[in-house]
Amino acid sequence: MSQPLRAIARVEQLSKHYGSEQARVTALDAVTLSFAAGQFTAVMGPSGSGKSTLMHIAAGLDSASSGRAWIGSTEITGLGDDELTVLRRREVGFVFQSFNLVPTLDVRGNILLPFDLDGRTPTAAETAWIDELIARLGLRDRTAHRPHELSGGQKQRVAIARALATRPTLVFADEPTGALDSATSRDVLRLLQDASRDFGQSIAMVTHDPVAAAHADRVLFLADGRLVRDSGPASAAELSGIVLGLEDAS
Amino acid sequence: MSSRTLARSELARRPGQHLPSLLVTALGAAFGAALLAVSSMIGDYAATTAIGGSAGVERMLTVLSILFLGIAVFVAGVVTTNTFSTIIAGRVHEIALARVLGASARDLRRSVATEGAVVGLLGSVLGVGVGWAVAALVGVIGRASGVALPVPEVLDPVLAVPLVASALTTWLASWLGGARVLTVTPMQALGSAEEAPYDRLSRRPVRTGLAVLAVAAGAVGLGAGVMMGQSSSSGVLVAFLGGVLSFIGVIGLSRLIIPPVLRVIGTLLGRGAPARLGAANAMRHPERSARSTVGIVIGVTLITTFVVAASTARTVLFATTAGAPEEYVEEASRIIDNVTLVFAGLIGFAVVIALVGLVNTLTLGVMQRRREIGLLRAVGFTRGQVRRMITAESAQGAIAATAIGVLLGVVYGWSGALALLGSVSSGAVWPTVPLAFVAAVVVVTAAVALLAALIPSRRATRVTPVAALAVD
Repeated sequence: MSQPLRAIARVEQLSKHYGSEQARVTALDAVTLSFAAGQFTAVMGPSGSGKSTLMHIAAGLDSASSGRAWIGSTEITGLGDDELTVLRRREVGFVFQSFNLVPTLDVRGNILLPFDLDGRTPTAAETAWIDELIARLGLRDRTAHRPHELSGGQKQRVAIARALATRPTLVFADEPTGALDSATSRDVLRLLQDASRDFGQSIAMVTHDPVAAAHADRVLFLADGRLVRDSGPASAAELSGIVLGLEDAS
Repeated sequence: MSSRTLARSELARRPGQHLPSLLVTALGAAFGAALLAVSSMIGDYAATTAIGGSAGVERMLTVLSILFLGIAVFVAGVVTTNTFSTIIAGRVHEIALARVLGASARDLRRSVATEGAVVGLLGSVLGVGVGWAVAALVGVIGRASGVALPVPEVLDPVLAVPLVASALTTWLASWLGGARVLTVTPMQALGSAEEAPYDRLSRRPVRTGLAVLAVAAGAVGLGAGVMMGQSSSSGVLVAFLGGVLSFIGVIGLSRLIIPPVLRVIGTLLGRGAPARLGAANAMRHPERSARSTVGIVIGVTLITTFVVAASTARTVLFATTAGAPEEYVEEASRIIDNVTLVFAGLIGFAVVIALVGLVNTLTLGVMQRRREIGLLRAVGFTRGQVRRMITAESAQGAIAATAIGVLLGVVYGWSGALALLGSVSSGAVWPTVPLAFVAAVVVVTAAVALLAALIPSRRATRVTPVAALAVD
């Protein structure tokens, strides 16, 4: 990306260690990076590269050992559990690999969950937006279904609808296509891409799949807990080559 | 793989999962042993005094003790059945894997029952020991306050009753709860950790038919007893048999009666996300939810029956003995009060066992929903909201069970009083429900709801949002 972009989330000198002093494992080693507003960013890296840890901390799910992290203008490192939870509810949307939906709620209930948790009903504008999402994601005749009545692809669509419903600062997707077949995967990735392009939604996605990362505007590579490469859009083949090179090097 | 090897490895690897069943078995056995040992001590004591002389006192106390023991052991059995069934639900993946590797479903179920037999034996030996110690303590206190109670015999043959009853009940409960093993298919070893669909209530036409029949016949008996009671107090015997029969029927139907009541109570808990999700959770496993609360229904029904019968009888007595000497009426009502209190206390023990069961079911449910709770935390449930969700689930169970129990108890207690005293009363007799009892019910229900939610809430709030991402 040539033009400077506003950072929507960033981390500075972020480190995460596990284990005791003697047997310390470093998952993240002083990483500094930022996610740009409106961009679809993919984070790649071999297993154990620290990509998941980075995203967990950046999304306010886990705590850092040292360093700082911001979502929007809020510094999240140092926030208490309740403040962090409310921030996730309002400012972050989540799409996980599987088990995204609450089994006891129907599709609409799942999409409205972040509003329910805030103890409020969506405004007219928000309701119109949610209805638009439901229509665009092809869920209109599924709103009263419960998760176990949906296919894997449909479940991911509901998760995407929920993640977009509050128009969060950042949508965080963790291997969103990891449990899907390739046709359904493409479908889900295109939806994320559209959300970024059409609505200016900032998205950060962790993936080990070069095909998935090829849908992103920008691809970050992590290895051994460090940021090793920052690339613009690339084809799956190019991304595969980079990942293989990283795996050989480690 | 032999069933014994499997059972041994489960017991060695995860003994903690059977602690609640051990506790419930021991509680039932200890209660029975203490009651029976104290009964024979009182019998021995009575024989040495002027009131005794015959074996009548001891025999009557022993029969009553066995009746109370029966109630406690039945509730313990229901609780343990539920515990085993819930544990199996959490083991589905491992059971499926064992099936893939060639273990037969029958062997696996037998292995679960072997675990139950071990737990039952340990629990009942432990419980009888504790019960005997309690009886010995009662003896010490008695002698210190001048009542020459004997030291309870260690090898009193009557102690075999709670020992055998508790051990066998737990074994049987593990066999019944283990039936869930039969529904696991080898395919489930391959499936990913997806959210399971709701449990469906299995159809049990024979059991349901018999239970409906028992309720109907019992209701007829109850009605007939009340009618007969208008002319003679012997109607109470007919009413008693009718009441027992209909209540057994109600317990048999509890899996059909309790879930709809839970649903109604659930909607009354509020529309907030925590309350709604908590209430919805109980509907996922209707059978499990029914079993986890039926013990409370039994306890509350019996206590309410005694209280309402006694209070109604006293109202009638006051009304009909207006001319009688005052001290006579007071003495009679004091005896009624004391007997009611002792009976309520003894049945209350079954409620304690049921409470252990409710805690255990809720806790196992939390452990089996770790990913779901992690997801809720990720999308914005605060710890407080998670706690409220668990408390809503527990309150729903406690309120539904108490409501059903009080309703049944008022009907039974009123019928009993009518059947016994209808012939001496003039005019209509309405059930008397003392205000103090209503207050006690409300306080106890709230206490049960909060207490039962304590341990599972602590477990649930410890689940981190990252748990939702763990792919297993």
